[in-house]
This record gives sequence, structure tokens and C-alpha cells, in this order.
Amino acid sequence: MPDSGARNGNPVREETIYEYLQREGVSRRQFIKYCGMVAGAMGLWAAPVLNGSARLLGKPDLTEEVIRALETKPRLPVIWLDIQGCGGCTEAFAGSQSPTLVDLMLDRISIDFHQMLFAAAGSQAETALWEATRTYAGKYVLVVEGSIPTGGEGAYCAVAGRSAVDVVREAAAGADVIIATGSCSAFGGIARATPDPTEARSVREIVTDKPVVNIPGCPAIPEVTTGTIARYIVFGTLPELDDLGRPKTFYGTTIHDSCLRRPFHDAGKFARSFDDEGARGGWCLYELGCRGPTTYNACATLKWGGGLSFPIQSGHPCIGCSQPDFWDDGGLYQAQSVPLDRPALTTVGMAAGVGALVGAAVAAAGRGRRKRVHEARAESAPEAESTPEPERTGRG
Amino acid sequence: MSSPEAVKTFHQGTGGWVASQLEACARCGICAEACPFYRVTRKPEFAPVWKIELLRRAYRQEFTLAGRLRTALGLQKKLEDENLAEWSRIVYEGCSVCNRCAMACPMGIQIGPLIQEVRAGLAAAGAVPEEVASAVRKQIQKGSPLDVTDKLFDERLEWISDEWGVDLPIDEQGADTLVVFSSIELMKFPQNVVDTARILDAAGERWTLSRKGREAINWGIYEGNTEHTKLFLNRVLDAAKELGVKRILVAECGNGYDALRWTAPNLVHMPAGLEVTHIATVVAEYVRSGRIKLRAGAADGNGVITFHDACKIQRRGGCIEEPRQILKILAPRSFREMSPNKEAATCCGAGGGVGAIKAADEHRYAVFELKLNQIREIEADTVVMACANCRVQFLDGVAHFNSDLKVRGLSRMIAEALV
Amino acid sequence: MDWHDFLRFVRGPLFEVSLLVFVAGLAYRLLRVVTLGWTRDRIPPAGSRVVGVVRSYAKGTIVWPFIPWVKDTFRGNAVTYLAGGLFHLGLFAVVLLSTTHVLVWKSLLGFAWPTLPAPIVDLLAAGAIVAMVALLINRFSHPVVRKLTGPAEVLSWLSVFLPMVTGYMTTHQIFFSYQVLFSVHMLAVDVMLIWIPFSPIPHFVFYFFSRTIHGVEFGKRAVSP
Repeated sequence: MPDSGARNGNPVREETIYEYLQREGVSRRQFIKYCGMVAGAMGLWAAPVLNGSARLLGKPDLTEEVIRALETKPRLPVIWLDIQGCGGCTEAFAGSQSPTLVDLMLDRISIDFHQMLFAAAGSQAETALWEATRTYAGKYVLVVEGSIPTGGEGAYCAVAGRSAVDVVREAAAGADVIIATGSCSAFGGIARATPDPTEARSVREIVTDKPVVNIPGCPAIPEVTTGTIARYIVFGTLPELDDLGRPKTFYGTTIHDSCLRRPFHDAGKFARSFDDEGARGGWCLYELGCRGPTTYNACATLKWGGGLSFPIQSGHPCIGCSQPDFWDDGGLYQAQSVPLDRPALTTVGMAAGVGALVGAAVAAAGRGRRKRVHEARAESAPEAESTPEPERTGRG
Repeated sequence: MSSPEAVKTFHQGTGGWVASQLEACARCGICAEACPFYRVTRKPEFAPVWKIELLRRAYRQEFTLAGRLRTALGLQKKLEDENLAEWSRIVYEGCSVCNRCAMACPMGIQIGPLIQEVRAGLAAAGAVPEEVASAVRKQIQKGSPLDVTDKLFDERLEWISDEWGVDLPIDEQGADTLVVFSSIELMKFPQNVVDTARILDAAGERWTLSRKGREAINWGIYEGNTEHTKLFLNRVLDAAKELGVKRILVAECGNGYDALRWTAPNLVHMPAGLEVTHIATVVAEYVRSGRIKLRAGAADGNGVITFHDACKIQRRGGCIEEPRQILKILAPRSFREMSPNKEAATCCGAGGGVGAIKAADEHRYAVFELKLNQIREIEADTVVMACANCRVQFLDGVAHFNSDLKVRGLSRMIAEALV
Repeated sequence: MDWHDFLRFVRGPLFEVSLLVFVAGLAYRLLRVVTLGWTRDRIPPAGSRVVGVVRSYAKGTIVWPFIPWVKDTFRGNAVTYLAGGLFHLGLFAVVLLSTTHVLVWKSLLGFAWPTLPAPIVDLLAAGAIVAMVALLINRFSHPVVRKLTGPAEVLSWLSVFLPMVTGYMTTHQIFFSYQVLFSVHMLAVDVMLIWIPFSPIPHFVFYFFSRTIHGVEFGKRAVSP
């Protein structure tokens, strides 16, 4: 029972997530279902197929752990900042159809302050946001979407008169954990593409004293962001990250590893253009620039639109959007085997010229020696016999 | 024997022709199996590619940046300090410069001529076997390695002329053809001189011998010394020029044919329009044009006859089909080819000067045995050849191995069948 | 530096540099030989030099690779002939006729050509790898070849073997991730391109000199090369 006052000397106890949901009218049955969804969202480890079989196998039952967690933990605030981004990562969420996990996570299980989705606007919204950072200091999850422009002393993006760099730093100061969703906040994204006029930087480059989880993708797959937040909210721990700060659960394998067109790749059947026999036959898109083999993300398994499809399935090569600097990795339709930098013909010509000159110089030195030997010998030899050539250069 | 002079000669002889082939070597070692000297001894140092290693090192030292740097930094021993004794042994005792290796090389490298370049360097350093040096000295001083001086030449020819009743014109002006014998024929196979004379007379050829140009053999080539080579060549060529002949006919001498036909034009000025040819080619031409007639089957009925291809006349000389055309007439029912044959035939073992070097006897006999086995394989009773040096080797070898193989010269067989 | 940055480096700036060194180096090797002087051949030919050259190349491209056992030098050199042939076959198939590499050629030259089916290229690539191992063993066990093997030959073997084996591993994602394997493959290729001009490997260029000379020398004597 919620009780903000002390009674019998007991300390103040916050309302748990379960208690909140009860208050909202969610039945126990529904709650268990929700826990199952959350467990599923975390995606990781062996959630046994048959309910209850976990105990038989001696494995922890993930759903039970989620239930236990939600029954004992309070709701946590999630503060969502939008900096230099297109808002696509949020769009991806908002665009999701069913009464989804996203909904569940952000509306029910957490209290959120979302700069984009707030009904409120202007100074009221600003106030609410900063109040939340103070109220929940040390406890909230900060989600950042969009890159942070550092050029022009941070003037390229200012919110309410303050540079985004400062906003992010201040918001990060009181956060428990920071999640950079989308390639922009994770790596710098499109704004960072050459020539990077605003000197766009990732969250990790701005916030260096706290753990930042990168959820790259352009946009990030909504379920991946949600799953990561869920994990944190439910268990209070961060997932295992790879060397680029991405959760290994979702970014541990490449698109290529799980791609439905893999058999075509292995058989060497490639589409050559977007409307040829191969393209229509669903063949591998390697020749059209697919970056699947070197791109780590969950697109091929989780897919998009609630598991509907993903670029390759729909006939477009993977553009590697969850990799750093993918905008500068060569043309999107350039095959992976093609080198990124190729010398211009004139440069090649010059290189050949330089080589040729050095070669001719070395040969000239040798010829000089040959001539000196010949002349020295001709001098000391008896009357020279008539020879067609002045120097011997081998004979056939 | 140390090598500054050798290295200078290597450098002097290295131009695009040599360098591009040295660079083409892929170090595969296939050439070894083609070399009869390697095959019968299995000594890796007899591999043709190893025989030209000195030349390759000299090339790298002088004509490559890496080579120059390595020498300058002291990372590589200077070739000038190399002891040549072992190289001399390999190149003079273990090689007849038959050029079979060139045919085996996947890159087609002319290893034989490159070995000849190595000999040039060794000769400049004086690193040649004593027998070779001695033969060269004799040829310089007396005009022939077998001591056939002007005087002996005259005496010998007179004796042959008397003994067999043939006219042997010497230094006759107005002749078309200058015939050059090797002193081996003159001294060991005088019948050859007779047969050649009879063949040419039967064809109505206007021919002559020459005192000055009496020696077909060129020990300068065996030695590898260009100056000596030119000296000996010019004796014959000057004679040809003085006599105003249209062509030189080399009798049964492989080295002589190689020297005059395939080496001379690149070393000395040839008299304008002068042809060089070999007796087998000439006879084939006579038969084809009807100038002489041969009795068909003249050599049949004496068992199987086979032909030995002399390295310098067949593979390196190109005179491959002519002897066979002749033998097809002379022994249509008895002729059988040994294997390998024609341009792929193996050396008799005594070419390139090897026959004169005592220390090479063991190899020489072993290579000969290889040949002998090829002949035994086809059960031939007689082997015919068009080179006198091969014939010396065959006679020696046949005796050494106690074989009853009959050894005959081509000219003999032709002369016997003249109609 | 993470694997992604490393991959960009070996596919990008390092590749460009390697290619330029390769071109400059080969030009150097070629001119170093070609400008050494060529004497005119004054020997009157007895046969056609052109026919000799044609035959020489025919022998070099048909007999050696496809029917080497007709030569008596096959005995004692079976490994060199067969493994050498298999290696070259695989090399050409992979480098010139596989989709991945034809895409590279297209980007460098501006045009492409038909490719072999992937399973065939794969088989030939595996064959080439096996052949390379056999050739290395041969280099140390054959009495003649052993004499001809020095550090340059071993390094050259390594510089060609590593791209082949890492390329194969990349295609099949063996042991490591595609990203790691692809990076290592590109690095191996870059190293190979830089090494080639300073190694015995340019014999593939001088092959054309020696084969032509061979044809001329035999052709002019009217002897079949």
C-alpha cells in the first residue's frame, strides 16, 4: 500500500511497479502477461519455450524473475532528450502498432519525460524536465537521440538558450545510466558525415564519466531500445556490451549471419540490378552494395514493423546503419569487396613514371659499369677483332 | 682462383637478353630433370639453374638496387671474393651445354647460352680445366687442338689422297664451297674425308679445302673466351673470303657447325652473302634435286639402325629431318627411332669439352650409359650419327661397357650407297 | 582502433598506397631490365621466328598446365607440375573470375567480364590452398629446389598464401567474424602488393620475355621449341 508517511518507525516506502499497475486497473493475469512480454523483450538468454520447464532444466525462469523484480521495484523515470537528430528513432516507436511493449515500458513501467512526445511544450515542458532531474537525481535513465554538435562552441543546437552540449552534460550528471539510441547519438550519424560541418559528436564523446549504452541503427530498432531499457529497469544491470558499446544480445551477430538470402550468397547468385531476374528472384544483394556481412544489428532476426520485414527482405541492400561512420564507407551501392580508396589514373601514371625512372637509373648505372669494363679491356686487348656491337650483351 | 675478372665479364655480358631471362627464373628446379648430367649423378649442384647461379649473383650485385645496397652495407659477400674452383668443376665437367634444359624450363629460359656466359667469366679468371686451356693453347699456336699444323695438314691430306685415290683440292680459287673438317675427322676418321670428297664429286660440286681454314672445331667456345672464339672463327672466314666461296660446308663437326652457323654472325663480320651449311643438309638437298642418287635400302639387312641426334647439329643446329630423309632411303626397313629423339634427345656425354676432361670421365660414361640404354631399349644393332666428337665418345663408351653396338658416321653410309 | 576502423583503413588508404607501390615497383623492375640494352641478332634464320614464338607460347600455356606428364621431366617433378598447375589455376579463377574480385576489377578498370559460378571458384580456391602447402613442403624436401630456396622464396610464398587462405576463410566465415577476416584478408593483400615488386614474383612479367626469346631462338633454327 502506498504510504508516504512513517508508521511504527518504518522507513518511507515507494510504490512498486506492480502496485502502480494495480492502481491503474491492471489485473494480476494481465500483469503476468506483461512480465512475459518484458522478459521476451530482453531477448537474451534461454527463456524456456514451455512455461515452467525452466525449473526442470535447472535454469532461471526469466519471467519469474521479471515478476519478482516488478513486484519489488519502484517506477523509474526515463528522460528522453532529442538533440541534433531527425526524430526518426522516436518515430519508429510511435509508429509501432499494437498496444506494444513500448507503450508498456514507457507509459506503465516508467515515468517518462520525452521532449518530442510531451503534450506540453515550451517553458512548462522545460521546467518539468529539469524538475524531474532534480527529483529523481541519481536514479533516472537518460535516453539521448540525435548527435551533439560541438562546433561553433556548441551554438549549432541550443534549447531554451542553452547549448545542447551543456544540456546533455547536465542531464547526464544526475542520470543513473545513459542510453544513446540511434546512430546519431551512438556514433555521430549523418550529421557527422564528411565534411561534418557542425562537428557532430556521439554521447560517449560528450559524457565520459558514466556508462553509456549505444543502440545504433538509423533508426534504432524500437524493440532493441525498449529491450535494453527494460533490462535496466527490471534488473538494474546493463547488458554485456561489445567494443563499440552495443549490447551483444542484439548486436553480437551480423545481418549476414541470419540473412534469409544467405543461401543465395553462398551459391554465388547475386542480383546485378534492382529489376533483373536475380532481384525478382530474391537473390543476394552483395553486388548492389549490401553491407550485411560487416554490419552488426538484429535486423535479420527481430526485423522491423513488429517483425514484418527488413531492407534486404524488401529488396534493398543493407546500408550498414548501425556501424560507425557508415555514411563515409563508400557508396551505398558499392560492393563490399571494392576498395574504399582507389588512386586516380594520373596518380597511377605518376607512380609508374617514378618507378620507371628509378629503374632506368639503376640500369644506367649498370650500363656505365659495363662500358667502363669494356673500354678498359679494349685498351689492353690485342688488335680488336671486328665486332658488330661495341659491347657484349649476351648472345643467343 | 678469385674472381674480379670473372665478375667483370659477367657484367660485360649482361644486357636485356640475359637480365630478362635471369629475372624470369621462378626457382622451380624442373630443369634438373632434363639435364643428363644431373639425372645420372643426382648431384643438386649439376642442376642447370645452379650452373648459372654465379651469373645471377653478379647481376644482382651490379644491376639491382637491392644488390648494390646489400653489398654496400656489407650484408652480402662480394662476388669478387668468391672461390671459382667449385663453379669451374660444375660448369665444365658437369655440363656439355646441350641446352636440353631450355626445353624443360616452363619459362623457356635459354639456360645453355647462359651457362656459356658463365664459362666466359670463368675463362676470364683463368678458372678453366687444364685440358681445356691446353687445347686452346694448341689451337692458338698450331691451328688445331690435335696438333694438326699446316705441315701435318698437308701430309695427312696427301696420305689420304694416295691411300684412297681421291682428289682433295686445297685452296682452289673459283670453288663455290669451302669444306671444313674437324681435326678429329682428319686424324681419327680419315674415311670421312674420303667419303665427303666422293659425295661432293658425285654431285658435281666445285669445292675446296683450305689450309688456313682447316679446323672446324672452335675451342674458344668450349673455353668460353670470346676473343679466342673470334680468332678461330676468323681463320675459317678469312679463308672463305680469300677463296671467294659462296658457302662453307661443315663436315661432321657439331661444335664447328654451331660456331660458324649459329654463333659467328653475332661476333664477327661475315663476308657478304656467305652461307654456312652442314653435310647432312647438303646431301639431303642433293638427293632432293637429283644431283646424286642413293641406292634405296643400301643399309637394310644388317639389323636395326637408329640415329643419334647430336646436340649441336640437331637441337641447337636445326638439322633434324635431313639425316632422317637420307636414312629413310638407305634403310627403310631397318630404321627405328630411339626415345627421346630429335630435339629432345639426350647428349652423348662428351660435348662441350667434357670429352677432353679426365676428371669428368665418370660423369661422361654415366651419361653415355643413359644413351646406351635408350638404344638397347629399341634393340638397335647400329647407331648412326653426323658428329665426329659423338663418334669418338660412342666408340669409347661402347668399349667401356662391352657392348657390340656398331657405330657409324652418316657420311660413310651415304658414300657407300652412292649410285 | 576497433575492427571497423581497421577495416576502413586496410580497404581505404592502405590499399591505395599498396597499389601505387605495386605499380611503381613493377615499372621499376621492368625498366631496370628493358633499358639494359638489346643487341641486334645478326644470325640468318633457317626457320620462322614467329612460328617459333607461337609454338613457344602454345607449349607454355597448353602443355605445361594441362598435360605436363607428356614431358620426361615430369618424373621427379610431379609435385612442382601438378601443385604448381593447380595453384595457378586456382589463383586465376579466384582473382580474375570470381564475383567478389571482378567487382574490384570493375572499380579499378571501368569494365568487367563474366564470372565463374561460386561453387566452382570455391573448389578451385581450396585446391589452390592445398597446392600451396604441397609446394612449400616440396621447397624443403626436393634436393634441387631446396638449394634454390632462400628467405625471399619463403616470404613470397607467405605473401601469396595468406591472402588466399584468409580470403577463403572470409567467404566461409571460419573461426572468426566476417569483419575480422575481411580486415585481415585486405591487410594480407596490401602487404602482398607492397612485397611483390621487391621479390622474385615478377617472374610472371618476365615470363613474356623468356617465352618470346625461347620461341625466337628455336624458331630461327627451325627446331620445335
